[in-house]
Amino acid sequence: MSISTNGQKLTEDEIALYDRQIRLWGMAAQARMRSARVLLINLSSIGTEICKNIVLSGFGSLTILDSHKATEEDLSSQFFLSKDNVGSYRLDAAKDRILEMNPRVNIVFDIDEFSSKQPNYFSNFDLVIGTELKCDEMARLNEITRKYNIPLYIAGSNGLFAYIFVDLIQFDAKEKKVKSFKPTEVGKVSPNTEIIDVEVQVDEEEASKIYEVITTRNYYKTFGDMLKTATLQGKLNRRQMKRLSSAVPLTIALFSEKPLNNSEDLKCEALSACRQLQVPETVLNDQYVEQFFNQVGVEFTPVAAVIGGAVAQDVINILGKRQSPLNNLVIFDGITLDMPIYEF
Amino acid sequence: MTYLALNPSTRLLQMKLHNGIKSMKCAYIEALGSSSMARESNIVKIVGQENHKKLRSFKCLIVGAGGIGSELLKDCILMDFGEIHIVDLDTIDLSNLNRQFLFRQRDIKQPKSTTAVKAVQHFNNSKLIPYQGNVMDTTQFPLAWFGQFDIIFNGLDNLAARRYVNKMTQFLGKPLLESGTSGFDGYIQPIIPGQTECFDCTPKETPKTFPVCTIRSTPSQPVHCIVWAKNFLFNQLFNTDTPANENTNDWGTEDQAEIERIKQETNELHDLQKIILTNDDSRINDILVKLFIRDIEKLLQIENLWKTRTKPSPLDQTLIDKASKAELQNPSLSSLWDIQEQVTEFIRVTKVLMQRIHEGEKSLEFDKDDEDTLRFVSTAANIRSHIFNIPVKTGFDIKQIAGNIIPAIATTNAVIAGLSTLTALRVLNLLSYAPTKKATDLNMAFTAKASNLSMGRYISNPKLAPPNPACPVGGKVCRGVLKITEKGLNEINLSKLIDFIREKYEYPEETSIIDTSNQRLLADYDFDDLECKTLADCKLHAGSVVLFSDEEGVDGGSYRKAIELYIETVKGPLENEINLPDVVVPLVTVSEQAPATEEQEEPSQLKSETDKGIIDLGSEDETSTAGKKRPLVDIETNDAKRIKLDQDDNNDDLIELE
Repeated sequence: MSISTNGQKLTEDEIALYDRQIRLWGMAAQARMRSARVLLINLSSIGTEICKNIVLSGFGSLTILDSHKATEEDLSSQFFLSKDNVGSYRLDAAKDRILEMNPRVNIVFDIDEFSSKQPNYFSNFDLVIGTELKCDEMARLNEITRKYNIPLYIAGSNGLFAYIFVDLIQFDAKEKKVKSFKPTEVGKVSPNTEIIDVEVQVDEEEASKIYEVITTRNYYKTFGDMLKTATLQGKLNRRQMKRLSSAVPLTIALFSEKPLNNSEDLKCEALSACRQLQVPETVLNDQYVEQFFNQVGVEFTPVAAVIGGAVAQDVINILGKRQSPLNNLVIFDGITLDMPIYEF
Repeated sequence: MTYLALNPSTRLLQMKLHNGIKSMKCAYIEALGSSSMARESNIVKIVGQENHKKLRSFKCLIVGAGGIGSELLKDCILMDFGEIHIVDLDTIDLSNLNRQFLFRQRDIKQPKSTTAVKAVQHFNNSKLIPYQGNVMDTTQFPLAWFGQFDIIFNGLDNLAARRYVNKMTQFLGKPLLESGTSGFDGYIQPIIPGQTECFDCTPKETPKTFPVCTIRSTPSQPVHCIVWAKNFLFNQLFNTDTPANENTNDWGTEDQAEIERIKQETNELHDLQKIILTNDDSRINDILVKLFIRDIEKLLQIENLWKTRTKPSPLDQTLIDKASKAELQNPSLSSLWDIQEQVTEFIRVTKVLMQRIHEGEKSLEFDKDDEDTLRFVSTAANIRSHIFNIPVKTGFDIKQIAGNIIPAIATTNAVIAGLSTLTALRVLNLLSYAPTKKATDLNMAFTAKASNLSMGRYISNPKLAPPNPACPVGGKVCRGVLKITEKGLNEINLSKLIDFIREKYEYPEETSIIDTSNQRLLADYDFDDLECKTLADCKLHAGSVVLFSDEEGVDGGSYRKAIELYIETVKGPLENEINLPDVVVPLVTVSEQAPATEEQEEPSQLKSETDKGIIDLGSEDETSTAGKKRPLVDIETNDAKRIKLDQDDNNDDLIELE
């Protein structure tokens, strides 16, 4: 098996270290990962999880941009920090612990403010991941990634609830599936995706096995456009509507730029989110709104592990071209473990 | 940290760790005084002050410190559990480092549990207790030990241990959070004994097996040749304990000529072991000629076999001749070798293995991490594939098939462990705004998108099902702890025990009793050989579990439910040296009572060891949950050794159930 894509062959040492994942996504994907340059903004709880997953799996280079100083609260959700780090820069504190996880990855630590970075700074990366950003920061970041045509992931959490927003601009994913009786047809399959090519392949070991290699084109919206046009009208059946988590309108309410000083403000915004989404206002229950408000901005490691795992896996997938990527808003309810993907 | 020592006594290590944690805690509490936002404030916002206090008083157990276990440990610490115990019997391997984020290159060969606990010290805020040991070891971990925990998390890689922990939690009525991953796929399942499905309530997929004739005469896929090379050829040549005769009635064929040929070939092959033992490497060519030319020629004479199949072509003799003169170049396992390279490498590596036996290793076993054995199996399998017109594979690929390697990645493990810890909040009823009214309102979860089961959900979260009434673990039996003194074990005989049980729970005359640790029948209506023996002589001891069943029925049509008893030894004093638990064992109707044979069925992996009729890959580490709402999930790595130990324990006096 030889690797010609993007650089040199993997060494025997790398093959031994990454053995269990190469068996999943192959040597070519592993080699592509090695040449990828990723920017991670904010070493939050989710940022910590993403950092861990990306460094372990052997990306070429990771730059972490974070200007925060460690607080007492950070200790409860960020495992690179220890109590004597409170007050110092999170990056300074975490640096050695991150580096020793995988010495093969080139890691750059940058303690500048996100807002101080000029747009061209971002053009050095193949992919950008932002965590725990404010709404105006998300909008600015998305504007820049669009300008330089860079895939973007944004994730954040509010206690037991969390979200992932994805903007890959346009992305073609290839997937290999066993052919069923009915051949897959080219054409639109969902609001944001379209099958553009289907190639039939016969298994080289068992001629009776026939596969289809399906190329799906994913279209994306910017964060701003997604918010403006998001609707669930006609997308949910009765059962799905009944099960719809309050976390959906509440999360979208938090994206509004209005200040939310109390749970009433939050409920007010959430009601307007319900109207836009075309879901009944009964989805919101007062106790839930109250709880959600209490948990706004709270970081919690088990939730970060789920979200950080999902984001890092999707990043690996798009580099390995293995599975269809997320598109475009994922909302996680850590109580019921519900985690729908909405194509807005 | 000063406690890094080779093979430290676990107890000493625990004490040192405790002291370390204590002093850290003191320093931490002092620091708290000056801080406005306490470390706990995040979790308090989620569960509230009261429930946070409860959480700090809870003890949890994490079984396994591998891929899921490392993640669980981190999550449980940061969730603020008061006390966390973690058990693992393994040591760290290079191939763990892509996902077991607490381990470094320098930790290779160190125990996982103690290394993990050391690695989390800088962010730890809980009391941590590591154990290096097998969770199924009843001496180190008796039932009472499991009893101290409020909740148990499984981060296991094999079916046997999963089943075992499941059963212990069923005995104790403790909540269990079961989980597993395989590549992109993963699941979690909370198990609340008596209220929700247990691990065994849904059937698990058994390891893939192949008929003897496919492996020995008519391979058509690479895996058939790999099984031949690993399970058959390698053992016949290098494992001096392998018997020459094949005991089977199941050849997978009716063709007498073919069966005769297989039998004869086995005997001849066994003779080849003598060549290995002579350490005369000039005779390796004879082995090649026999395996890949003569045997294939004989096979070709059975014309029936080739009516619908492509005929194999014996290896070209000149390849063997050239190989003896060819240069040895130790080609890479990740590249495909041509047939000449395969033959040359076969000769080289056979020489090496021969030498190893000569130098004192009496008997060799295939081990995927022993490169000589891997290269032997790879080349032998590939030469056979070449002969049968089957595609050849790289050593890297063959390692996966022969070693039952299941791919494993950091991301899936992180997601699954996160879901598992989150669910613990509801299992322990710590969310006052989302109270758990009944256990079946809890959700299980599995990767829906990554497993290609849904495009619209990243995670699917069906509610839990009630126990399956036909399940021999979760539904069909009553349970309790049988207390007995050492004296009782040595003096009470089996028939006396049967009488005690019958009397206490009102069983009829006809009953059966089985030792469930290895599915040994101890007594039933036509097997009473052991009844005069003492319990100790019947190999029952502290930690044994016996299953007692009604084989007759009561009052026409009803059966007394079966009871499973965990044997715990106590110092006494006990009346009659024995005490049976006060459990109500109800009568059930026939329809509720599934056939007795079902529950006595051996775990498949044990079966494959004893039933030589079927050659299997020895894949110990399956686990797929059947049923449409369940994803297919396999689990990391394997534990063949643990299963073998159980097997070797068989006593000649005792009969194994088929």
